[in-house]
Amino acid sequence: MNARYLARQSAQAIFTILMIVLLNFLLFRMMPGSPDRVNPRNPNVTVEQRDAARARWGLDKPLIPDQLVAFVGSTLQGDLGYSIKFQGQPVTEVIGDRFGPTILLIGLAELIAIILGLALGAYTGWRRGGRADRIGNGLSLILYSMPYFVIGMPLIIIFAAGLGWFPTSGMLTAGASYAGPVEFLTDLVSHLALPLATISLGLIGGYSILMRSSITETRAEDYIATARAKGLTDGRILRSHAFPNALLPAVTLIAINLGYVVGGAITAEIVFNWPGLGTLTVDALDSRDYPVLQGIFLLLGVSVVLANFVADIVYGYLDPRVRQ
Amino acid sequence: MRPSAVHRAIRLGSALALATALLVPASALPARAANPLVLRVGTTQDLDALNPYQTLLVSGYEAFQLTYNLLVDFGPNLEPVPGFADSWTRAADGKSWTFHIRTGMKWSDGQPATSADACFSWGLAVAAIKDGANIGAGYLDPSLKDAGVTAVSCPDDQTMIATTTDPSDRVLQVYLPIIPKHVWGKETYKTIGDAKFVAPLVGSGPYTAAEWKTSQFVRFVRNPDYWGTQGAADEVVIQFFKGADTMVQALKAGEIDYARDATPEQLKALESQPNVKTVVGSSNGWSQLAFNEYGASKGTLTPGIGPSTKALWDPAFRDALGYAVDKKTLVDRVLGGYGEVGTTIVPPVLGAWHVEPDHPRTFDVEMAKQKLDAAGYKLDGQGQRLDKEGKPISLRLDYPNTKDTYAKAAQFVKDWYGQLGIKVTAQQYDSATLGNIVLPPEAGKDFKANYDIELWGWSGNPDPNALLQIFRCDAIGSSSDSQYCNPAFDKMYDSQNAAATADARKTILAQMQNLIYDQAVYDILYYDANLAAYRTDHFAGWQNQPLANGTPLFTYGTLQYTLLTDATAVPSPTPVITTAPGASPTPVASAAPSATGGTTAPAGGTGDNTILYVVILVAVLVVAGGILMVVMRRRRATPGDEE
Repeated sequence: MNARYLARQSAQAIFTILMIVLLNFLLFRMMPGSPDRVNPRNPNVTVEQRDAARARWGLDKPLIPDQLVAFVGSTLQGDLGYSIKFQGQPVTEVIGDRFGPTILLIGLAELIAIILGLALGAYTGWRRGGRADRIGNGLSLILYSMPYFVIGMPLIIIFAAGLGWFPTSGMLTAGASYAGPVEFLTDLVSHLALPLATISLGLIGGYSILMRSSITETRAEDYIATARAKGLTDGRILRSHAFPNALLPAVTLIAINLGYVVGGAITAEIVFNWPGLGTLTVDALDSRDYPVLQGIFLLLGVSVVLANFVADIVYGYLDPRVRQ
Repeated sequence: MRPSAVHRAIRLGSALALATALLVPASALPARAANPLVLRVGTTQDLDALNPYQTLLVSGYEAFQLTYNLLVDFGPNLEPVPGFADSWTRAADGKSWTFHIRTGMKWSDGQPATSADACFSWGLAVAAIKDGANIGAGYLDPSLKDAGVTAVSCPDDQTMIATTTDPSDRVLQVYLPIIPKHVWGKETYKTIGDAKFVAPLVGSGPYTAAEWKTSQFVRFVRNPDYWGTQGAADEVVIQFFKGADTMVQALKAGEIDYARDATPEQLKALESQPNVKTVVGSSNGWSQLAFNEYGASKGTLTPGIGPSTKALWDPAFRDALGYAVDKKTLVDRVLGGYGEVGTTIVPPVLGAWHVEPDHPRTFDVEMAKQKLDAAGYKLDGQGQRLDKEGKPISLRLDYPNTKDTYAKAAQFVKDWYGQLGIKVTAQQYDSATLGNIVLPPEAGKDFKANYDIELWGWSGNPDPNALLQIFRCDAIGSSSDSQYCNPAFDKMYDSQNAAATADARKTILAQMQNLIYDQAVYDILYYDANLAAYRTDHFAGWQNQPLANGTPLFTYGTLQYTLLTDATAVPSPTPVITTAPGASPTPVASAAPSATGGTTAPAGGTGDNTILYVVILVAVLVVAGGILMVVMRRRRATPGDEE
């Protein structure tokens, strides 16, 4: 890995993040609507009170340069400001509370989907045209095209409300206290099961389809024919020769998807009332909570950029041609 | 060198452990009663603040009312009942009230609750009113202003005297929580609105806020020192749902006991559900068409400010439009049949104060056309209705995006007005934007009241004043969305507010309701319904407020929480032994104590799933093990293949 390649990638990443900071600021303020917490329809609020409230959130100053300068300055110092909706709680705290649940849910779901999706894709691609391929690929396409709420709602209706096997929603029983870690984990796992299944199912399709086409291409390569000529078993060729080589395009998809993990899965989180960053995004959008929105999108932007950065580096390592 | 599969497995394991650790509360969990009986309440409205002066939402009112008492509470039919004060007397001239504060009452932290707390809480509002200011969001103190309270004094621990400007009994409707002086005593009316009310809170209500996880739930624990009836629930948890669908599923599954604000379709589906009862409560409010009369009192129409046509100033024009709206259809098609046809500005839920109009308008498009013709609004050759300046009338109808019923109603209105030759352009806004569109220049130089009709809604207090004052002249620039100004109405408002007897007040209120109806300031489309559902297998004793047409929770005061009983604790006064003679009679004996205790474990639900969890865990382990094996086999089998 040469230093110039690394430096170029780093500079690109930093530049992108700076652009994201600027865009974050402008984008949300271009949306129609206002974060006015002081209801204009409150019969008792005077013009002065409304103005005072706006001044308090710095909304009375001109957007550019005053608000922008203040925003960029504090963001660079790691100060993301205070939530308008949640009565002045620091944005870092508001986001911090939701970070763990999202990482747990989406992170695990990605992990499961990557393992199962790649395995399914590799197998169906290897058996292209066969029954396994028709069923597997068909299934992948169906899952790929299904939004999370279409997968999630039936799961709730059948397994939660119907059979009563799992709780319908939430991450933990609201307000519960636990005698010990075992009770806590049991509660967590039972709440996690359905949303995890939903998101994993939703993600498997994408990985499987990509892997299938990649394996199909690899199958025609000369070294596969060589391996076959060496008398290796079919399964052995798939595992040791085709699969590692076909993995390359999947690395990009995995990296990009992992970057989006912190974004949460909005529709899945809404359906399962999961207290993650996805539901926070919706809440913040509804109330035009600019500081929280900026915080979430900054986090999301940075993690996507970082994930891509890592992907570039890994790619450069896996495929020397990219380094040029 | 590459890491071995074992290393990978360790890494994976530690990543999972780390993820779990992220979620485990760092601090020790507070000790609680083993197996508390929990009342779980679901709502789709998030809680915005525990500070009573800061909240704008019904869920915030519910939270502070559970924690704090009002001086005078609201009874089953919204009548005044003892609260922080257990009795009161009125001076002979009617202008001063003496409240007796309960003897021996305690705050939930054990401190004595006395008149000093009441004087402090009311005193904050009195000071704000004197300065012409509001506390916090400005929703609470106006009730004290309406009551005409000018001073409060507390000569001893058990007495509070309130002096008022008029002999009305509005003082018994004051919506101000009594907060503990020993906690908040340093705050003034200017600072209390920003004070951080962080759970656990000290209160005197039946349940005090103990824990708030924003956007997830707020948990209340029983106040053992509460002076009133102790409810069966040891804890109350209000859970916030992102969608009504999930909430309804949680109710069906028995995870929550109460669901607030179901949709009409969901309510219909729930009606056949076992152990679930649905309630259609009458909302203390309405949805309306507000006609913009801006400029009518001056008689000049400035382009770009106010309505697009002077026709909207004309009561005859607005009256005619009223005949073109089929409210029955709106209730059936927009509200799914849940709701009532709208008429006057005091909703029927306020029983005694509501009157139906003396001259009701009925749905009759032909009549509407005739009335428009008669009032001088003729059709032109293309079938367009012209205003008196000869310009085709084309109205802009703005509505908020907060409920889909507004959008549906707007489409109906557009169609009906269209039949009269009046073009309607319906447009949706978020509520903050719409609020600003409706404001006139009186509210500030940036505001233009540039709309013709606003389709929106209001909801009020147990006292009709809240809904009446939006038609006052001085509401223009704040809450008025019709820009209506009629000094005669203002005069009636003042005299009804100061009326000494309820009968006198009722007569004036009837005149006011008819005046607004006849002048067609608003076309009140319907009185919305509050749709709720609750389970009967966990708690019993659900009671609506008001009894006839209310809902059990999210009403006024928190009386209904204390009336709930444990439905699983079956009282068995005459034990019937059905077992064979000689069998042990202990089951009956052991069941008896639970009838009075409140600690019976919740029935059914998610308690018996241990086997399932084990199965899931085993399944996860099998999958993980399988993957591990494949990886390891590959490692072992292919060393020679590596480059």
